[in-house]
Amino acid sequence: MATRPTNAKRATGVLIALLIIAIVLAMFFAYRRSAGLGHLHGPRLHVSLSHLPYYAFCSFMRMTAAYVLALIFSIVYGLLAAKGRAWERVMLPAIDIAQSVPVVGFFPAAIYFFVSLAHGRFGVEMAAVFLIFTSQAWNMALGVFESVKTLPNDSIEALEAFGATGWLRLKRLLLPACVPKLVYNSILSWVAGWYYLIACEIIAVGPAHYELPGLGSYLMKAADKGRTGELITGLLALLAIIILMDGIVWQPLSEWAEKFRYEFAASSEPMRALGMLAVLGSVGPTVLKIFRNLTRPVAGTIHRALASTPPFEAAHHPALQRAWRIVRIGLIATLLFIVTKGLLDGTIALLRTLRQPWPSAVRQIPAATGASLLRMLAAYAISLAWTIPCAIAASESPRFARRLAPLAEIVGSMPATALFPLIVIFVIKVTGGMNLASILLILTGMQWYVLFNLLAGISQVPADLKEAVRSFGLSRFATWRKLTLPAILPSLITGSITAWGGGWNALILSEYFVYRSTTYKVFGLGAMLDDATYQTGNGLMILLTLLSMVFVVLVLNRLVWRRLYDIATDRYRIDY
Amino acid sequence: MPLLELKHISRSFPHAKGTLPVIEDLSFTVEEGEFVAVVGPSGCGKSTMLRIINGLMEPTSGQVLYKGKQVDGINLECALVFQSFALMPWLSVKANIELGLEARGVAPNEREKRASVYIDKVGLDGFEEAYPRELSGGMKQRVGLARALAVEPQLLLMDEPFSALDALTAITLREELLDLWQDKTMPVHNIIMVTHIIEEAVELADRILVLSTGPGRLVADLKVELPRPRDRRKEGFNALTDKVFSLIEERA
Repeated sequence: MATRPTNAKRATGVLIALLIIAIVLAMFFAYRRSAGLGHLHGPRLHVSLSHLPYYAFCSFMRMTAAYVLALIFSIVYGLLAAKGRAWERVMLPAIDIAQSVPVVGFFPAAIYFFVSLAHGRFGVEMAAVFLIFTSQAWNMALGVFESVKTLPNDSIEALEAFGATGWLRLKRLLLPACVPKLVYNSILSWVAGWYYLIACEIIAVGPAHYELPGLGSYLMKAADKGRTGELITGLLALLAIIILMDGIVWQPLSEWAEKFRYEFAASSEPMRALGMLAVLGSVGPTVLKIFRNLTRPVAGTIHRALASTPPFEAAHHPALQRAWRIVRIGLIATLLFIVTKGLLDGTIALLRTLRQPWPSAVRQIPAATGASLLRMLAAYAISLAWTIPCAIAASESPRFARRLAPLAEIVGSMPATALFPLIVIFVIKVTGGMNLASILLILTGMQWYVLFNLLAGISQVPADLKEAVRSFGLSRFATWRKLTLPAILPSLITGSITAWGGGWNALILSEYFVYRSTTYKVFGLGAMLDDATYQTGNGLMILLTLLSMVFVVLVLNRLVWRRLYDIATDRYRIDY
Repeated sequence: MPLLELKHISRSFPHAKGTLPVIEDLSFTVEEGEFVAVVGPSGCGKSTMLRIINGLMEPTSGQVLYKGKQVDGINLECALVFQSFALMPWLSVKANIELGLEARGVAPNEREKRASVYIDKVGLDGFEEAYPRELSGGMKQRVGLARALAVEPQLLLMDEPFSALDALTAITLREELLDLWQDKTMPVHNIIMVTHIIEEAVELADRILVLSTGPGRLVADLKVELPRPRDRRKEGFNALTDKVFSLIEERA
């Protein structure tokens, strides 16, 4: 068992993380000199069905660009991190921090940064791709790292015994070893990517007043204009893309990835059955048949192409290797230069920003943090209130579990952000205020993580334990207390950690909403951040709100969740 | 009146092509005070049979009579010992043993008293507060045994109880089980043990039921007349073992 860090070490970790984030943040603002958001103009958005395919295409291209970047990044980063203890010690905590930071909060900063690099639409596009990238890269990089780290020693030694090093070692051993985890995480990342894609398109069209053509902005506009028909068509288009991608790309890919799995390292990840197709099947067998016929040729072609490709057969050329070495040195030098200059500029900018006169609103930050935390807690309580009974019901009735799982999968892979305009407008119309809407929006960013983890936990409760409690005649309530609840506790904690991560992101979107040129907001940290970003443009306030958010997230993670996780995996692990 | 009577029990499971019969027309009776071992190759439905007796599973057809009455739901006068021990990893040894007592609504102080009696009987003194993952396989099965004995069942059902243990530990536990069974102060006088280890059946049981595979049918019902304590090196022991072996091989 790994040694557990002490509280002092944890606290230092939080502090160092905060400092790094502050500098990175400041780096963004150091480059914003020339960029004002005021003079941004995007193409005009049309809410009409004839434009929908184009918008869907734009969104899809953004996703693809971000995913390709994330894929390249994750392989390079993961391999480097697995290279040695020293690399690992720096690069893993960096991922840990990057994962727990609410990326949505950085979107405005990213717009500033990229627009100052490349003016106009291209800058905003880059910002959007960057945001999606940050939601996809980390878990994939971790997947690569874990794959290389868990490589059986004898495989490594066998290759070394044959004198295989460098490129050969990479393509014959390391890359193939990464494939299963990389594909599995790609699917997760793709789902997460949709969430953030829609989010940044909504931000762009809403508070940032920049029209980024895409599905998210289309949905927002349609909701804004009260065009229900177009809104629903847009949602259906989104659903169609998600299901098509699943059937055409991810399904064949995960089957292909199975070839790379080490037989003796049994799969611990839940194999993704095509739950969506099962749902379609239960809706109507004809729909399923039509869908199968439509996708079969394409999926078949991809499948054949993958099958006929031996894993990573590439030209093995001395000239190529020499060229690669030169390119590598150049890349490292450029990277070093950029990082050093960025850090320097960032530190200067940080100091300059902090020396500005502090606005009186700073004093409200603690109260706003409290208000936002309460909203998060309310959303978390609602999540638990329905997912735990669902999980218990699933544990008592396998039939219910079989029906719930694919349904949850299809609903959960729909980016909840796509429903934001609908929810906000409905709730504002009914209650006239934003508070309930805000909690509901956070809920959409939280609940699925809890549910999926609980369902996975329930499915892993050993059959003999279930038989034992039945055989001893435990009552229903006693069974919950002695078996079901303790058994799902580790999954509950894991799910909660992910859910809070999603919740923080949703918080930023949920406390501040622009609808029909009216800004709806509540008192909270997210709203404060948005206010500073879009209204006052006060760099210091943006910095401080983001920092306090990151601080709360890190403190909660280190002092609450990590501890609960330790306890849960220590005591409630099923491994006897 | 016999303690237990199985009448024409059949059980099948849903399968890719229709149903798969696992037990077919199984009938036998168990008298008061008997130690019955059920042997057969894997897939002969012996574990399924044990679950039907306990009431964890319903037969597709046929009847189970316990003391002349049809079993409906879980029979709380039985207790089951699992091959995989099936201990709750988050409960201490003591809490695991009290599990069945709690289910039967026994008061806390009485629970504690009874748990400590059986902790003592199976030799778990000093391990009351340990968690299952801290114990060796043999110790875990002692907890499983104590948990079953603590509810003071009329009929103890054992599903390959020593198969997951190493050979030496299994020998020790078998001897301890016999001691417990012959201990007149113990309330348990009836045991049905399912096993695929033929020597184990011959060493322990009064009677051996031999099942055939695919689907499980009763092939032979043998009385074991060897005097106790039984010695593996004696002539009669090996003769009986060979006989059971050939009975199983004929039908395989």
